Amino acid sequence: MPPEPGPQNTQFHFSHLVRHPAFLGALIGVLAAFSQALLISAGGPEAYGFCVACHTRDLVNGLTNIIADTSLALAPISGNAILPVMSIVGVLIGAFLSAKVHREHKIKKADTKGYAIYFLGGFLVLQFAMIFGGCPYRAALRTGYGDLTALVFIITMAFGVVVGTLLMLKRAEKEES
Amino acid sequence: MATGILTKEVAIYAVPLVTLLLGVLIGYLAQRSGYCSVGGFRDYLLFRHTRILSGYLTLIVASFAGYLLFWFLTPAAMEHFFWALTSNPLSPVPGAPGGLAPAAYLIFAAIPGFLVGFICILLGGCPIRQTVMASEGSYKAAFFFIGMAAGSIIFAAVVSGWTVSLMKAIGFGA
Repeated sequence: MPPEPGPQNTQFHFSHLVRHPAFLGALIGVLAAFSQALLISAGGPEAYGFCVACHTRDLVNGLTNIIADTSLALAPISGNAILPVMSIVGVLIGAFLSAKVHREHKIKKADTKGYAIYFLGGFLVLQFAMIFGGCPYRAALRTGYGDLTALVFIITMAFGVVVGTLLMLKRAEKEES
Repeated sequence: MATGILTKEVAIYAVPLVTLLLGVLIGYLAQRSGYCSVGGFRDYLLFRHTRILSGYLTLIVASFAGYLLFWFLTPAAMEHFFWALTSNPLSPVPGAPGGLAPAAYLIFAAIPGFLVGFICILLGGCPIRQTVMASEGSYKAAFFFIGMAAGSIIFAAVVSGWTVSLMKAIGFGA
């Protein structure tokens, strides 16, 4: 006899669904549009619902402006609001909670050289992302909004990934032989 | 000027709160799913795995669907939806630095795109993956985030002015 579909069964499927990247992709897309519909009166730009690079910029520069009384540039929505956009603080909290709940939080230290490389990497990625006006996520939102330059960004980004991956493969092969 | 569901007086208070809640939800699920944009292209290239890639491709489609839905519900908030159809198709949505020719914006998209993909894949994750890994306890990813934070101030103070002047100097001013 087949087992009756009960609440436990749906729970099981639901937990698989929320762990699928496509579920989060769909959620970010709809929530970004919802967030714009809700908040756009505070200021632009459009297609700005979620972006790691821009929202980090807004957070850091917005708080620096408040604390140190500087006037660093940031998006109008963050400049007009009482506090800048807080999505990145949210991401840090949400990911920390999830890692704690699922016992995946683990301190991983490295050497100074590793820290320096990652610091430089983060620094450079932010410069390039901001020159374009968004990280890969805002590029996706802008593409959905009808911005073809963002599609150019995504295509060249995929190309950059291919070059980087092949470079790493070659280096790994060299180390093996 | 675009108007949303909330009036400006309410929205300026709602901005930090709403974005914080969205961020918590996104961060939680990103940690569960290992969400990454550049990692998807790498996994497809190396192993023909589509799991991670599907997350990013779904985002593009879902954002279009989401904007379309709210364009029907609140058209005033989606002022420039269908951007490429209603303006010069090779210009970015409003918010980019003004006064440059379309060629400059294509350069701003193509070269940074390549470099973001290249650097992120060498470091093993796009900005959101690094942020999530920092929350999971990776010191290296935390330094990536600190690098982004330091870069924010330098970009606003120095680099953004440079890039616009550079484009004007090589003849891509409007």
